[in-house]
Amino acid sequence: MTIVVLLSAGRHPVSGAPVLPRMEAQAIRIAASLGEAVGLHAGPDAEAVREALGLGLTRIEHIALPEGLDPVPALSARLAALAPDLVLAGRRSQGGAESGVVPYALAEALDLLLIPDVVAVSGGADTLTLDQSLGRGALRRVSVRGPVLATVHPDAAAPHAYAFGKARRGAVELVGAAATGVDVPQAIVEERPYRRRPKLVKGAPTGGSAAERLKAATGEGGSAAKGRLLVEPDPEEAAREILAHLRQIGVLAGPTKSNS
Amino acid sequence: MTRPRRDPRAERASIQVAGEARPRFDRTARRTGSGRPRRDPRAERAGQRVAAEARPRYDLSQTVRFDAAVITEAQPKAAAAASPKILVLDDPAFLVAVVPDAPGGRLSSHDRQVLGAARALAGREGGVAILTLGACEGVGPAGADRWLPLDAVEGYDPATQAARVAAALTALAPRHILFPESLDGGDLARRVAVRMGEPLFTNAEVVAANGLVRPAKGRRVEQRIAPGLLSTVAPDAVAEYGGPPREARPLPVEAEAPTQGSKRIVSAARVPADPATVPLALAEFVASAGNGITDLDTFRQVVAALRATPGASRVLCDAGLMPRHTQVGASGTVLAATCYFALGISGAPQHLQGVAGCEHVVAVNTDLHAAMIERAGLAIVQDAQAVMPALLKLLVQEAQGTGDETA
Ligand SMILES: Cc1cc2nc3c(=O)[nH]c(=O)nc-3n(C[C@H](O)[C@H](O)[C@H](O)COP(=O)(O)OP(=O)(O)OC[C@H]3O[C@@H](n4cnc5c(N)ncnc54)[C@H](O)[C@@H]3O)c2cc1C
Ligand SMILES: Nc1ncnc2c1ncn2[C@@H]1O[C@H](COP(=O)(O)O)[C@@H](O)[C@H]1O
Repeated sequence: MTIVVLLSAGRHPVSGAPVLPRMEAQAIRIAASLGEAVGLHAGPDAEAVREALGLGLTRIEHIALPEGLDPVPALSARLAALAPDLVLAGRRSQGGAESGVVPYALAEALDLLLIPDVVAVSGGADTLTLDQSLGRGALRRVSVRGPVLATVHPDAAAPHAYAFGKARRGAVELVGAAATGVDVPQAIVEERPYRRRPKLVKGAPTGGSAAERLKAATGEGGSAAKGRLLVEPDPEEAAREILAHLRQIGVLAGPTKSNS
Repeated sequence: MTRPRRDPRAERASIQVAGEARPRFDRTARRTGSGRPRRDPRAERAGQRVAAEARPRYDLSQTVRFDAAVITEAQPKAAAAASPKILVLDDPAFLVAVVPDAPGGRLSSHDRQVLGAARALAGREGGVAILTLGACEGVGPAGADRWLPLDAVEGYDPATQAARVAAALTALAPRHILFPESLDGGDLARRVAVRMGEPLFTNAEVVAANGLVRPAKGRRVEQRIAPGLLSTVAPDAVAEYGGPPREARPLPVEAEAPTQGSKRIVSAARVPADPATVPLALAEFVASAGNGITDLDTFRQVVAALRATPGASRVLCDAGLMPRHTQVGASGTVLAATCYFALGISGAPQHLQGVAGCEHVVAVNTDLHAAMIERAGLAIVQDAQAVMPALLKLLVQEAQGTGDETA
């Protein structure tokens, strides 16, 4: 089984230093549990993805590409040549536009099946089983046939620890540089330092006063304001109250489950 | 302002009590005729109050004449507010399309925010069109002028779904298309974008007709762009539509995408989260034990019976009575649960930090003045050791269908 992990040149959100994005490190862990995997990076410099060698890859292919060019044509050409059974990518890159479009563009170009937000992969060469995150720990278990491209969700298992020896033994190979980089017409984007904006306060009345919004934000206006206090009730009575309250919130299923 | 000149002699003459030898004056009589009447600031203020608003609002441009009765207007406004009329937009200049997640046929709050963003882009002349896969309720009040109900795709087949949405959008030809940046919505938006060959502006935090703004480079910069064809909107960034309900006129869909059943997905099944093993940070419902609990076996039975995820305060984890990964709080796990059930926990600040995001809290504690009791929506001052067996008994009774309280 051929497995390719797509590695992007990430930047640390605070220091701006080159770093391997966490989701790609998690992708390496998933790939390593299935077999031998190869990393693939398209960009001007492979130093940023060298870290991936210490996390479980033995070989990284580097396609030299000038700064600012669209990596999709170069990556899809190389992937077509490798014909992998499984391609793993991060859900979003880190430090750039963070748009997460690259895997979709690759799937469209290569006519690959794309399964997003995967937390675990198991199975063999012909049928793969992918666990897709639906949020809050719920999963969708998808069985697929044939080659598949999957993006990794942050809820996947934490990456392996960095091993210095492995990082030294691993190799970064330069594969044929992309002949022509098509210059994509970029939309005019104006950049300025990030400004935090107030988050919407859930449950605040529209057009309410500042005092009402503050109440909604601190939870005083929510469940705490209409909180009920029972002092020294009968334990049975307390239990009934608790169950009724939990059912009203909707976290506990109703009692009509196995009625005789 | 011209003031009539006072005539003290005439005023005095008018209050003279008649029929007495000595001149006597009744100064309690109200002076009319000449002089200035007394102002009544309260009545003036009340006269300026705009009617039919819950919050007091005053129209200061309305000058009140203090010698006349206060004018009260804005009565017709109140009548209009009582029966909200459905806004009908017959001939919109352009359309802004929204593709919501609508899980289970209902708009989520994120979907409503995207509709609010679309309303902001549409302005006065434009209309908002909503594209739903399958049935969906309440799209008009959420701000939709047009409604395209598409057929839902059976099973899990996101590629076919995206093909159907892209075909409908191409036929509709809106000026802007907005998606929610959620798990499903973000996936659909990217599939539609690569199908249509259009750039996608993701995770917009500001949506206005003069530009969209998104964070980039790890939130160190923000990028502004003129609204393009395709964008996704971040959660909790844009306000929902707050105006009167709109028409949501159904639009027929001409373009029917070929239903290409993808053979590559063999099966797809939903695996609900197992509360016993789900990581604490993702759990929906957490039941926690503190130093007030001594019988941890009963606690574990209660947690299993309630189908909750077990948690604990630091005291129990330090003592080795509960595993470390169950610790809730500042130095443990910060919860994102909907409901938190605290048994015998005092509610130290370090513990409450972990619960700050929980919408509902239920607490059982023997101490009326514990901070947890104050935080809770349902607070019970009682011995948790007695409440836990009662809870178990009640749950077992209900499961057997012999509960006497169900009668
Ligand atoms: C740097 C730092 C970090 C910390 N981080 C955390 C953290 O992440 N998480 C955390 O939990 N703590 C943390 N702590 C500890 C925290 O300050 C408290 O000591 C701890 O939360 C108290 O736990 P407790 O409520 O279980 O115990 P106690 O404070 O002993 O409270 C026990 C409560 O149970 C009640 N009770 C007793 N018997 C019964 C009964 N039979 N039935 C019902 N109620 C009963 C009592 O009235 C009392 O309110 C931290 C402390 C420090 C200094
Ligand atoms: N230049 C690149 N070379 C290899 N993989 C990439 C490159 N850019 C993006 N990717 C992959 O695509 C994912 C999403 O990237 P993006 O669309 O830029 O957010 C990343 O997590 C990587 O796995």
